[in-house]
Amino acid sequence: MALPPPDPQFVLRGTSAEIHTLHFSCGSQEPDYPLLFSGSSNGLIHIWNLKTRRVDTVLDGHGGKSVYWVEAIYDRDRLLSQGRDQKICLWDLAEGRNTVTDSVFTENVGFCKCSLLRVAQGHWLMAMPGKDLDEIQVLELPSKTSVCTLKPEADAKPGMPMCLKLWQPDFGSCPFLLAGYEDGSVILWNLSEAKILSRLTCHLEPVMSLDFDSEKTKGVSGSSEKVLSVWSLDEQQNLKVQKTQELINAGIADVTIRQDKKILATAGWDHRIRIFGWKKLKPLAVLSYHTATVHCVSFSDHRRPNERLLAAGSTDHRISVWSVYNEI
Amino acid sequence: MAVFDTPQQAFGILRPICVQLTKVQTTENVEHLQAQLQMVSDSALQELQEYVLFPLRFSLKIPGPKRESLVQSVVQCITSILSTTCVRKQDLFHELFSELCTCLSSPSNLPQPAPLSEELKLTVIQALHVLMHSAYEDIILTLYQPSTLPHLGFAVSLLLGLAEHEKAKQIKLAALKCLRVLILQCDCQEHHRLLDADETKQCGDLFASFLPGISIALSRVITGDVKQGHMVTVSAIRLFYLTLSLVMADEQLIRITKDKEKPSADQSRLFELVVHRGAEWVKSTADKLSLLIHKIAEFACVHPHWKVRVALVELVHHLLLRCSQSLVDSVGHLLKALVGLVNDESEEVQSKCHEVLRNAAELRTIAENRALADVLSENLHSLATALPRLMNSQDDQGKFSTLSFLLGSLKLLGPKVNIVLNSAAHLHRLSKALMQVLELDVADVKIVEERCWGPEGSLGQPTASLQPCVQKGKGQKKYFRFFMDERIFLLIQQVCRVLGYYGNLYLLVDHFLGLYGESVVYRKQAAIVLNELITGAAGQGVDVFHERETAASTEDLKGTIVSILEEYTAQANWYLITSIDTEQSSEELLVKQSRAHALPGGANSSSLISSFFPSSDPSPAIRSMNSNIWQICIQLEGVGCFAYALGKEFRLLLASALYPVLEKAGDSTLLISQTAIGTMVDICHACGYDSVRCLINANSDYLVDGISLNLRQAAHQPHASQVFEAMLRHSDATLLPLVEDVIQDVLSTLDQFYDDRVSTFLGVLSTLVAALVQWFVVVKGNKHPQEQNAEQPTSTSPHAPQRQGEGSVTTPMEQDLQQFLLDYSKEKQIAEGNLPALEEEEEVHPSPPEPELNSTGAAGETPLPAHAQIAKEVLERCIHLLSDKSLRVRLKVLDVLELCVTVLRVHENHLLPMAHRAWPALVTRLINDDPLAVLRAFKVLRTLAETCGDFLRRRFSSDVLPKLTSSLVTQAPVSARAGPVYSHTLAFKLQLAVLQGLGSLCEKLDMGENDLNKVADACLIYLSAKQPMKLQEAARSVFLHLMRVDPDATWLFLNEVCCLLPSEPPHTSLHPLKLSGMGRQRTEFTDNVLCLLSELQQRETAAFQARPQEAPEP
Repeated sequence: MALPPPDPQFVLRGTSAEIHTLHFSCGSQEPDYPLLFSGSSNGLIHIWNLKTRRVDTVLDGHGGKSVYWVEAIYDRDRLLSQGRDQKICLWDLAEGRNTVTDSVFTENVGFCKCSLLRVAQGHWLMAMPGKDLDEIQVLELPSKTSVCTLKPEADAKPGMPMCLKLWQPDFGSCPFLLAGYEDGSVILWNLSEAKILSRLTCHLEPVMSLDFDSEKTKGVSGSSEKVLSVWSLDEQQNLKVQKTQELINAGIADVTIRQDKKILATAGWDHRIRIFGWKKLKPLAVLSYHTATVHCVSFSDHRRPNERLLAAGSTDHRISVWSVYNEI
Repeated sequence: MAVFDTPQQAFGILRPICVQLTKVQTTENVEHLQAQLQMVSDSALQELQEYVLFPLRFSLKIPGPKRESLVQSVVQCITSILSTTCVRKQDLFHELFSELCTCLSSPSNLPQPAPLSEELKLTVIQALHVLMHSAYEDIILTLYQPSTLPHLGFAVSLLLGLAEHEKAKQIKLAALKCLRVLILQCDCQEHHRLLDADETKQCGDLFASFLPGISIALSRVITGDVKQGHMVTVSAIRLFYLTLSLVMADEQLIRITKDKEKPSADQSRLFELVVHRGAEWVKSTADKLSLLIHKIAEFACVHPHWKVRVALVELVHHLLLRCSQSLVDSVGHLLKALVGLVNDESEEVQSKCHEVLRNAAELRTIAENRALADVLSENLHSLATALPRLMNSQDDQGKFSTLSFLLGSLKLLGPKVNIVLNSAAHLHRLSKALMQVLELDVADVKIVEERCWGPEGSLGQPTASLQPCVQKGKGQKKYFRFFMDERIFLLIQQVCRVLGYYGNLYLLVDHFLGLYGESVVYRKQAAIVLNELITGAAGQGVDVFHERETAASTEDLKGTIVSILEEYTAQANWYLITSIDTEQSSEELLVKQSRAHALPGGANSSSLISSFFPSSDPSPAIRSMNSNIWQICIQLEGVGCFAYALGKEFRLLLASALYPVLEKAGDSTLLISQTAIGTMVDICHACGYDSVRCLINANSDYLVDGISLNLRQAAHQPHASQVFEAMLRHSDATLLPLVEDVIQDVLSTLDQFYDDRVSTFLGVLSTLVAALVQWFVVVKGNKHPQEQNAEQPTSTSPHAPQRQGEGSVTTPMEQDLQQFLLDYSKEKQIAEGNLPALEEEEEVHPSPPEPELNSTGAAGETPLPAHAQIAKEVLERCIHLLSDKSLRVRLKVLDVLELCVTVLRVHENHLLPMAHRAWPALVTRLINDDPLAVLRAFKVLRTLAETCGDFLRRRFSSDVLPKLTSSLVTQAPVSARAGPVYSHTLAFKLQLAVLQGLGSLCEKLDMGENDLNKVADACLIYLSAKQPMKLQEAARSVFLHLMRVDPDATWLFLNEVCCLLPSEPPHTSLHPLKLSGMGRQRTEFTDNVLCLLSELQQRETAAFQARPQEAPEP
């Protein structure tokens, strides 16, 4: 008989607002303790110390508008955060500072989260929704110079981009961008030529979230429907559907593949977190704790695989932290 | 007196007497000489020394028997001469020495002391003593030649004989003192030249011959009768070790050549007497001495006088310092004595001991000396082996010294203790010994029985009264199987701490955790040891001789503590069966059975089940429960220890450690909850929190997390609710915002488990609402209920004018009558709808609750404060639960309901709808339910009436009152006939409660006339003198309340029953009254009615007198 699903290892409370995004940063040296960044609907970014399970710092830089993407860079000395105030802020967190040192105005009113890719030491590419509704801009950081603007042809009409994923086959090679659109299609963009390589309509509803495994060249996307779609990229750079997984309840807010590419987690509108095996998309567990829509799931990047945690943030103002499938 | 300075003059005086003495030896002559000597100056006497001594010596030398008195005075005279002069000549010294010795010996049997008088012996010994002091140093040294060995031996044996066999203490002492001079170790004030190494060696060689005699004789003296006095024993011990350290000194023995020196021909015979202190001799002597030392140490260790024990410590010190190599076999005995005395009851002995030990440790003689370390560890091993047996057989004193020895050995070994610990056999022995010694006595049933009931009292109590568990003393007093003495436990504690201090922490913790897991039999003891090990490793509360080289790092300590904590709070070790609680539901039992392996081997689950039936003697199950309770307590104490060990670093561990502690703080077993509270105080102290409240508030996030997660699992729900209760109990209103979240969790969990978890959650709800009452109602609104009552009379004051008009005995004034009529007409006008004076009325009698009602009315839309919202939600659950099938649950629900009503009292807009919903269920409780439930329900009703009087009036009079009055009426004859036992029945309690409450209810609800009459009718029966006193009192109270509501009607009613005094009409214009009670005979009601009437009259008078002040109306 299967074991009953576990309880959260612990629950973080106290944001008193919906949690929209989560990001782990576990630090690379031993004395560093793991941190969890959370962005919530009241515009605050909480930095949680996972050792004490308490908030270390609260950052307020989005004028009370909800924060829906955070990511730490430079070994968490800097933090990027994207908010509904149409700004992407760069925070300086080194040595206890917490000031906004730079910001980019996106002029986009959508919900699309940015995507960041490290292309070289100290250089990143950041994909973000552009000024026009269907436009995606790619910037080079830290210089903020625009690399390209990706705009589908006029007749394609995929609608607004909903989710982005920058990736590159090998470190140093040419990066690609996967974008999920409002009309339920996923488009693979070639950044250097700024053109569509492949387009796959895998959902009928807007694509809420996607993640991509560049080793297996296989990705997964979730929408507001009851299906989870797995698609793969062949040698000819064509996307094609590999499998669809039926769910009981509709609505996937977030989908994330763990770093080791073994499992994947989804955040459901039905208040549940689901765990699947990545290889065959075998349903492994349904984690129920939250009492409202789960907005985001995130896996920790801890050095030791057995300390890698899963965190989920929800409308019920809580962040549940789980320890699942990490005994190797 | 003239003093003769020059020898010539002195000679002139002394000569005749000396001549006289030479001729006739009489005592008188000697005394004469002595008298004359007083007049001679010291220098003169020195010149004439030999001359003067001659007649004296002559008189001693005369053959044949002598009178003792003469000998004594002669010796005394010699003594006085010698004490002021010096002996400069070797011959004289030798001669005097042998002459004096001869005095002591019996002529027939030379080496035996003669049967002389004690005075004489004493005098001679003193003379010898003086002689040794008056001789020049170099002359004295001539005595220590092989050639003089027989003389010396003679003296020594004589003195030893005296010391051993004499009865008189003084002689013994003098002899010992003299011997001490003889071995050139005098402790007198006079300056003695220190001997150089060669001379010392020479003396040593010489005395080696006497060593066997001296040591045996002295050991006999030392171990002799205690009655000889401690002085003798002390000086004998001193002499013993001085002799030993002279002969067996390591530094001398090194210099001994292998072969005996070749004696010159003429002295060969004498030389044979001299011992050659070669290796073999040393060995054999040391063997023999070891026996003596052992004997002496054993005896002196337990000597009742502390000076003897100090002397023993000195002995150990001396020998350890001087002869540790030569007497290596005895070192064990010596150390044993020493460490045994470390914890002596006398301060002096202790401090001396410590000093010596510290000295020894500093000199590193022990730690560095491999041989000694071996001896010590060997001792330790044998002791550990013997310890269990000793603990069984010895008395507490014996155990104390055994353990003192163990502790001392460990302390002496210091860091070397790891050599011992690294040997598996040693560690095994030692740990097993500790396990056995620390075995707890778990037969006490009381511990299982004692429980703390309910939230009463402890809620919101200041934490000042709480005692920390670990720091002040040792937490809960434990009872051990093998000893009673508290000091023994302290010793064991020290043993463990010292082990933790020096020992390899990982090794020790690993080993003892192994034992902890190995068997339940060891579990408690191992936990005690682990707690102390950590305390010791943190360097707390250990008393050691030398610092360890490397202290355990905080990280190591933390890692170790985390692993121990994990073990302690593991399911099988933390959730143990501690009580036979019928309330516990089936799931709990299931969980328990899965934990059955936590019970000792004998008590398997079948015996567990049998234990659910009470038995007369402590059954194995009770024993095991007691054992479980202790185990939990020890583990809790451990948490406190760990907190102290880590200090503020422990805060990091609170995320996992605090929840289990609070879980136990809510435990129903008194001992456990007390210990847990103590542990919390410990944690506060250690982590720098001001109070338990701060601790809980600061870490409420961890606790809330734990609670909400545990609520999700059915088996853990009771624990989670316990934690929550404990949190509420030990904190204050500031906690509320922090736990709102979890309150919702609790309520929603309750919603899911209405059937089987109700009783668990009701406890929580009850605590929660009680806490709310405590925090928000009692503190902020404590003027509320009482003052309302107090103000009631004034608010009904419109009736006051009427009252005095009718029944008062004081002669009414005409104007009063007039005033009454005026008021009456005014009220009548008002009643008819003519309201000119309404505003005025309001100004005069502002009814206090009104403004509040208005304000709450206005704030009806604004959200309720959090606490009231919670109370409302709880109330909602209570409504559902009011009709639960279990009486116990219903009772509890009624309690909670009452508390909720109290909290919601000021929020009438919210309370009334809830009251409306709750009413039908409440009425059912009041009308057809178990009397117990009726009682509680009635109480709730009273509380409810305080707030929503109007709301309840009609419902009460239609739904409840008829039933209540009829039950009162039907019960009345029963109670009237009943005997004294009746007051213990439930029916009586119910009657009493109804009677006690009815009055105030009527008053609060402002009941109408009909209802009041019903009440009065029903209660009248209880005014009968036949009723039990208490019921009469209660019935009187009903009428007293009725008087407040409607004094006139009550007056009339009472007078109709009985009226002894025909009332005079207050004014001639009025007709005399005719009442049906008039002129009746005394009845059973008379006393109470009269009493009530007089009370009524007093009130009227008081109101009448108070009226003039309020009279001036605008």
